[in-house]
Amino acid sequence: MRHLFTRSTLASALLALLIPVGAHAETISVVTSFPKELTTAYKKAYEAKYPGDTVEILNKNTSAGIAYVREQLAGSRPEIFWASAPDAFEVLSGQKLLVNIGPGNPEIPSKVGNYPVNDPKGFYRGQALAGYGMMWNTRYMKANKLPAPKEWSDLIQPIYFSHLAISSPSRSGTTHLTVETILQGEGWTKGWEQVLKIGGNSAAITERSFGVPDGVSNGQFGIGLVIDFFGLAAKNSGMPVDFVYPSVTSIVPANIGLIAGAKSPGAGMRFIEFTLSDEGQKLLLQKDISRLPVLPAIYKQAPADYPNPFSGKIQAKVNFDSTLSESRYMVVRSLFDQMITFRHKELVAATKAIQDAEKRLAGRPSAQLDEARQLAFSPAVDEKQIKDPALLALFKAKKGDAEASRAKAKVEEEWASRAKANYARAITLANSAK
Amino acid sequence: MKRNHPGLIAIAIAIAAFLFIFLIGPILTVVYTAFTDGQGNFTFSHFLAFAEISLMRESFANSLYVAGTTVFFATIIAIPLAYLTVRFQFRGAVLIQTLGVLPLVMPAFVGAAAMQLIFGRSGAVNLILMDNFGFSIPIMEGLNGIIFVETLHYFPFILLNLSASLATIDSSMEEAGQNLGASGWRLFRKIIFPLAIPGYIAGASLVFIKVFDDLGTPLVLNVTNMLAPQAYLRVTSIGIEDPIGYVICVILVLFSIAAMAGSWWFVKRRDYALVSRGGAQAPKRKLTSWQTAMAYGWIIGVLMLVLSPHLGILLMSFFKVWSFSVLPEQFTLVHYATIFTDAKQMIWNTILYCGLAAFIDIIIGGAIAYIVIRTTIPGRQILDHLVTVALAMPGLVLGIGYLRAFRGIDLPFGMGALTASWVIFVIAYSVRRLPYALRSCMAALTQVHPALEEAAENVGAGRTRIIRKIVIPLMMGGLLAGFVTSFITAAAEISETILLTSRESLAPMSYGIYLYFQSIAGRGPGAALSVVAITIVALGTYISHRLAAAATPHQQVGNRT
Amino acid sequence: MKSVGIEIKNIALAFGSTAVLKDITLSIEPGEFFALLGPSGSGKSTLLRLIAGFNQHQRGELLIDGKDVTGIQPWLRNVGMVFQNYALWPHMTVAQNVAFGLEARKLPSAEIRSKVASALELVDMGGLANRRPGQLSGGQQQRVAIARTLAIEPQVLLLDEPLSNLDAKLRTQTRQELVQLQRRLGITTIFVTHDQEEALTTCHRIAVMDQGIIQQVGTPMELFDFPVNRFVAQFVGSVNLYPGRFITEGDHLRFESPTLGTLMLPRGLELQSTEMDLAFRPHAVRFVDDPNTQHENNLALKGIIEDSEFLGEFLRYEVRVGEGRIMADIPHVRGALPLKAGSAVHLRVSSEELRFVTA
Repeated sequence: MRHLFTRSTLASALLALLIPVGAHAETISVVTSFPKELTTAYKKAYEAKYPGDTVEILNKNTSAGIAYVREQLAGSRPEIFWASAPDAFEVLSGQKLLVNIGPGNPEIPSKVGNYPVNDPKGFYRGQALAGYGMMWNTRYMKANKLPAPKEWSDLIQPIYFSHLAISSPSRSGTTHLTVETILQGEGWTKGWEQVLKIGGNSAAITERSFGVPDGVSNGQFGIGLVIDFFGLAAKNSGMPVDFVYPSVTSIVPANIGLIAGAKSPGAGMRFIEFTLSDEGQKLLLQKDISRLPVLPAIYKQAPADYPNPFSGKIQAKVNFDSTLSESRYMVVRSLFDQMITFRHKELVAATKAIQDAEKRLAGRPSAQLDEARQLAFSPAVDEKQIKDPALLALFKAKKGDAEASRAKAKVEEEWASRAKANYARAITLANSAK
Repeated sequence: MKRNHPGLIAIAIAIAAFLFIFLIGPILTVVYTAFTDGQGNFTFSHFLAFAEISLMRESFANSLYVAGTTVFFATIIAIPLAYLTVRFQFRGAVLIQTLGVLPLVMPAFVGAAAMQLIFGRSGAVNLILMDNFGFSIPIMEGLNGIIFVETLHYFPFILLNLSASLATIDSSMEEAGQNLGASGWRLFRKIIFPLAIPGYIAGASLVFIKVFDDLGTPLVLNVTNMLAPQAYLRVTSIGIEDPIGYVICVILVLFSIAAMAGSWWFVKRRDYALVSRGGAQAPKRKLTSWQTAMAYGWIIGVLMLVLSPHLGILLMSFFKVWSFSVLPEQFTLVHYATIFTDAKQMIWNTILYCGLAAFIDIIIGGAIAYIVIRTTIPGRQILDHLVTVALAMPGLVLGIGYLRAFRGIDLPFGMGALTASWVIFVIAYSVRRLPYALRSCMAALTQVHPALEEAAENVGAGRTRIIRKIVIPLMMGGLLAGFVTSFITAAAEISETILLTSRESLAPMSYGIYLYFQSIAGRGPGAALSVVAITIVALGTYISHRLAAAATPHQQVGNRT
Repeated sequence: MKSVGIEIKNIALAFGSTAVLKDITLSIEPGEFFALLGPSGSGKSTLLRLIAGFNQHQRGELLIDGKDVTGIQPWLRNVGMVFQNYALWPHMTVAQNVAFGLEARKLPSAEIRSKVASALELVDMGGLANRRPGQLSGGQQQRVAIARTLAIEPQVLLLDEPLSNLDAKLRTQTRQELVQLQRRLGITTIFVTHDQEEALTTCHRIAVMDQGIIQQVGTPMELFDFPVNRFVAQFVGSVNLYPGRFITEGDHLRFESPTLGTLMLPRGLELQSTEMDLAFRPHAVRFVDDPNTQHENNLALKGIIEDSEFLGEFLRYEVRVGEGRIMADIPHVRGALPLKAGSAVHLRVSSEELRFVTA
């Protein structure tokens, strides 16, 4: 019996070793932050069409994905980078990690609204379109008697205190895009004011962008800032939720690109072309995916009320400037984290104090309250400083540079402690406002 | 008679090499990175940078707070249960034993997801409370949620250690106290608890380390201001170069070692069992009906809490929608269908990785046990100590260490990078599960009387033959029990797994569950996969107990001398 | 310390379905040093623990100082018990151990300190107050255990096999000290042991127990010289014991023993019933050279030496008589060699040394 045991284990061990070796046809590694429903659908459909290839999904959130690609050595990198945030692609492109593949399927228009679907320089292509909006849980809203929001600015109202949820730009490319959209749409100072107030009204800053729609879906939060397909897919899957596009939104492509120095670039291209083909685009209409195709013809096959960015139905006021976004990518991320994510408790306390004071004063002017608002809802970096190239360069410095690391850490620490002090002071002022 | 066969010496060296490469090496890499700057010079700057970042200080304080508070509450739960089983005639003792096993078959992070639906802001319990009484209990908010989940998950460790420790206290110690006029609280405070402390400390320090290092639960509950999630987030989003992540790893390692060393020293210093032995054990006391009612009340209360995540996961797996309601809606089997079609690879991966790792563990564990107990090879204790180091190593640290140390290393036969292949899982699991397997192997081998081997030697059998035909068969029960323990603990582990899984096709079940928990359409498939995983682990635990129990009569042969 | 009496009336105790004490009745006088003597399983420890309150009897009464303490918890009884393994708490010093009972009685700390000091003085352990039990020898630990118990000035002192964990030399010394201590304090003391020598040398009275029943209660001499049944005869001291039948023949008794054969017993012995054992102590046996002498008032036997053991003060011979064996302890004279195996001897046992015991 023992002999059998040893032999059979040996045999299965050998067998196991052989498994990866056997699959010597082409493997396409896809780094993506997209959910399982989408990746599984594409993997199945592609492999059905090209049985010789295998699609490997490497599930990482956007910044982890970028870090991962950067750390692989040329020649053994994954083939595809596929994510919602265009600025992530700018970062990769800037570091020479993408191959210039030019535009693809000619049926795909070159612009959606004012925004180019594909990278004008040719390093990546738009594969789907996405807008950003608000998703809410109908039961939660009903139970708490909250009206459905229409604009971002609605969310700063006191009635929504502790009913919101957002993620942070450093962990969610889509949240980054949303924040940038608000900053570009409302301007730096007013935009941050809104963002900080929304942060103050939030019950949680989730670790992944999934945390928001997930929390809204299971009723933990009332309203969440999400990318459109999260809300739409959840709704179409039967969850008691609804979704709306505010006017301060932009329709921005979710991109796909071929990574430079990949193992099987030919197979990678095959995959990219597939995603942009009729068949590949149609997959986006699946109920549990609910994304917006870049191929206009596909919308004919969609249900009547399916959002269509090419029809002008979705009002998108903001012309997203991805160069601007890329230039201040790291600073915005860090500001959000230092002022909101890591100081959330204090921000919430300050928000509550201010809202209580406002209720108490019932519209009467108060210098203390104004100062409180100023302290709580102003960004640590003002409009002039954000244009300072030295600051921007500091945040783009390489990790290995110990001195730059420490300098950056110091700046971040300064923001954090200033924010903390400001919030505390704001609370004192608000509480004493008459 | 101990003879040092050259083959055994070679094996000892090989094992030492294995442990140095795959355990010590990665740890040293992590420590090195934390203490050097980009050019390779020694520096404290990373630690200073760490101390200057208020978020890091806060995370440090939070991790200590959460770990300490968990130990506290777990103790509170465990003390009455332990005392009931050991000192009283109590028919509910079987219930208590069940309580001691139930929490451990479900990984903590899985339980966390279910607890959120039951005890969360808009969970079942709070909805009922809000509707009927107008208030809610924020027990799942922030750090409290983690403490709550971890307490219910880890109190069995303390229960087990405390019970064992109480049982070894000679009853005459207590009776002497009663004889001199002490009873109830005074007796407990001055006599019983001080004597039970060594065993308690062993369990408590283990719980402290495990909670301090836990990555999965904070991630699932969206708490990031603790050390483990911070390290993970920094390493994955900023990159493997980020020095702060390594500083955190060093801190985790230091605390783990300190806790283990501290408890070992404490136990050694007060080896009370030596001073008073002998004397018959007094029969267990009876409970009054009032006391019995309270005892059952406590047990049922704890039982309900312990069962809630299991119930939650079960419900989640069978229903489509659970949103802002006390119970889920729309019964369905589609989740199970989904995972049995889509997650077959993950289930197979778990079986493969954990099976191989467990197999490696009992081979290495058995070899070390034999070398330490039966030979006089110099330095053999080092092997034992090395394995103990693995016990103190947080999975997170080992994962980061592997990614860093083995970056760029390729496997032969064109299998690609080591860190991107399935081999790394097997190695990582086997290294960290080795302490459990070693313990089983040691226990199994000490039960095999050396006379049995000597008799075989006497009739002319060589060492290899003796080991193969006598030692291994006699150890078989313990070996199998060790195999199963390694397997099920590896199957449930998530910390290293999250870090090491680069691609979905390599993912084992634990990662799969984590991934499925991030579905737009609900956590149903994740719950279904959890149920499969829990069933496997529960089955494994049961089998392991039976194997260990069945092994004991076998060994009487040796003990009769 | 006041000395109290203990009355045990018809106590019965069973663990589950096993009866451990079956109808025990005993009366212990105030100030008495009383032993419960018996083999393991006799119930002696159970009885002791019952007095302490760790076991509860199902029937009967237990009166300490005239009050029935049935159902009263151990910590309220004020009987001090010294455990067989001393049960000193290793995490406390000697002084803290001794102080424990006094602290439980909430005495002021100055008083506690002085009582602890005097208790330790009593057992000659004054200088070791700050040691821990782990640093003490067995004998020292026992003294501390005694001091701890005496410190609370209990009504009764219970000693559970106090000497069994000590080595032989220490045992004798400790035995004597215990006796002196008890005489000095006058405290009612109950001493449990399986060693008849310990019981005989120390106690005023002894209760011999076997299988949960008291076999005989008496002074050491009474038990040794006048055992009432086979068990006591065998348990207390060595004995030659022969079952058989007694037949009256005129004014002689004839004893029919399956092993020894038919013996004519000397005149003048009383008999209670026909089925009894004949018993006499080995030291009561004398060897005579002339087989014709000393038949009057003696049991006369003839036998062959089988074996001998040199015990220092005497030689123990094993003599075959008929089919049976007789043990004879003959005082040893300096230089005298033992008789050889196979030699014929003539034995005499004085009629005063003959006992009839029930089976």
